[in-house]
Amino acid sequence: MIETLAWLFLWGTVVGLDLVSVGQVMIARPLVAGTVAGAIAGDPISGATVGAVLELFALDVLPVGAVRYPDYGLGAVAAAATAAGAPGALGTGVGVCVGLAVAYLGELGIRAVRGLNTADVRYRRAALDAGDAAVVRGTQLRGLMRDTLRSAVVTALGLAIAALVYRWPPVTVRGAVLITIVLIGAALGAGATGGMRLSGRGVHLRWFAAGVLAGVAWVFVT
Amino acid sequence: MNSRFASALLRTLLFQASWSYDRMVGVGMAHASEPLLRDLPGGREGTRYREAMHRATQFFNTHPYMGGMAVGAVARAEHQGLPGDQVRRLRHALIGPLGSVGDKLMWAGVLPAAVGVGLVVMATVSPLAGVVTFLVAYNVVHLTIRWWALRAGWRSGPAIAQELTAGTIQRGLRVVGPLAAAAVGFALPVVADWLAEDFQARTRLSIGVVAALAIVFSRWIVPTFGTLRFGLAAAALALVVGWLR
Repeated sequence: MIETLAWLFLWGTVVGLDLVSVGQVMIARPLVAGTVAGAIAGDPISGATVGAVLELFALDVLPVGAVRYPDYGLGAVAAAATAAGAPGALGTGVGVCVGLAVAYLGELGIRAVRGLNTADVRYRRAALDAGDAAVVRGTQLRGLMRDTLRSAVVTALGLAIAALVYRWPPVTVRGAVLITIVLIGAALGAGATGGMRLSGRGVHLRWFAAGVLAGVAWVFVT
Repeated sequence: MNSRFASALLRTLLFQASWSYDRMVGVGMAHASEPLLRDLPGGREGTRYREAMHRATQFFNTHPYMGGMAVGAVARAEHQGLPGDQVRRLRHALIGPLGSVGDKLMWAGVLPAAVGVGLVVMATVSPLAGVVTFLVAYNVVHLTIRWWALRAGWRSGPAIAQELTAGTIQRGLRVVGPLAAAAVGFALPVVADWLAEDFQARTRLSIGVVAALAIVFSRWIVPTFGTLRFGLAAAALALVVGWLR
């Protein structure tokens, strides 16, 4: 149990760093973060399910400019930890619910890190303007450490919430199924909204519509 | 130069490590540029190196994958001995075009396309296959773009505009938008079917109704509310109803 939590904590911290600070190789996408977290927790199917649901929410995010966005990767780790071991649809809704809350905490953490980075850059303005390479390196390193701390703290909070929900389930079986239905629906709506926003109003929207029709045909044929 | 090029390429992976509201990725750009500036006349203690590093740390923002192009182009301009004002103008001129190309190509193109494909493979083959397909499909393009961007910037210097208007990039931009739209569109019903496979027809209909409400609410009624907040509000409502039932 402790070993599993330690691995989940480590995975969450790495996932949080990938979102902005290091690499952006997209292990922070919920479909990856959730599936791997589920595998660590011994239930890759539940992890993949909550990861896919959160991925649909994440499709509505365009990380451009200075925009702040939820950290769905850390949300997926907490969601997978919550849903692991629960039978069928029971864990999905509650897991995604925890995942959304943790994603929001991650967003608040990103704001805090950016504020601290700004204060740091202002404090070292003279040295940075002098072109001091050591100060540049130090500023980068401190930024990385802040984001590591953010990822670690949000992951720990997410795992703590998951443990509490596991110990004291907040809803009955019927309630858990209801939350699953509502959140799968909301996620599909979010994914469709993201797809339409991405496509705009022109020819891309027609490609999107063609994709939906082809997908529906695929579902009926297979 | 090869080891310094490799060092600069690796450092572009940390482009946003100290993202700040004042300089955005300016410090990250200086960090990535530093290996390419070391052999300016006078070396690391020289005036040209110091001045180049000073310029590199100033405000800069662009797409993180395309940032390498600015790193290479500006470093080449410093090596060519362009006056400081011209280097500054070059930096500022690159912010918009590189950001626009990167956002269209990656965030609105390759990423949603790879996510769509990954989700479909996840739903129809296996979760692990979906994850591997997504990561491989995305990162082959991502890492190639990072390498190409730095190399193109370093090769072209101030004439970098020709790289951005080159056929490959323009063709990529034309193809990737429709591909992403179609991939996301295709993935939605396939994933919906997978996620709802354990439910009966009536429950599936309920999921469809919630999805339709979510689209209407977040697309037309309150588009600034955000789907995360809509999801949290819907979950809170469901929790309350779940307690009452």
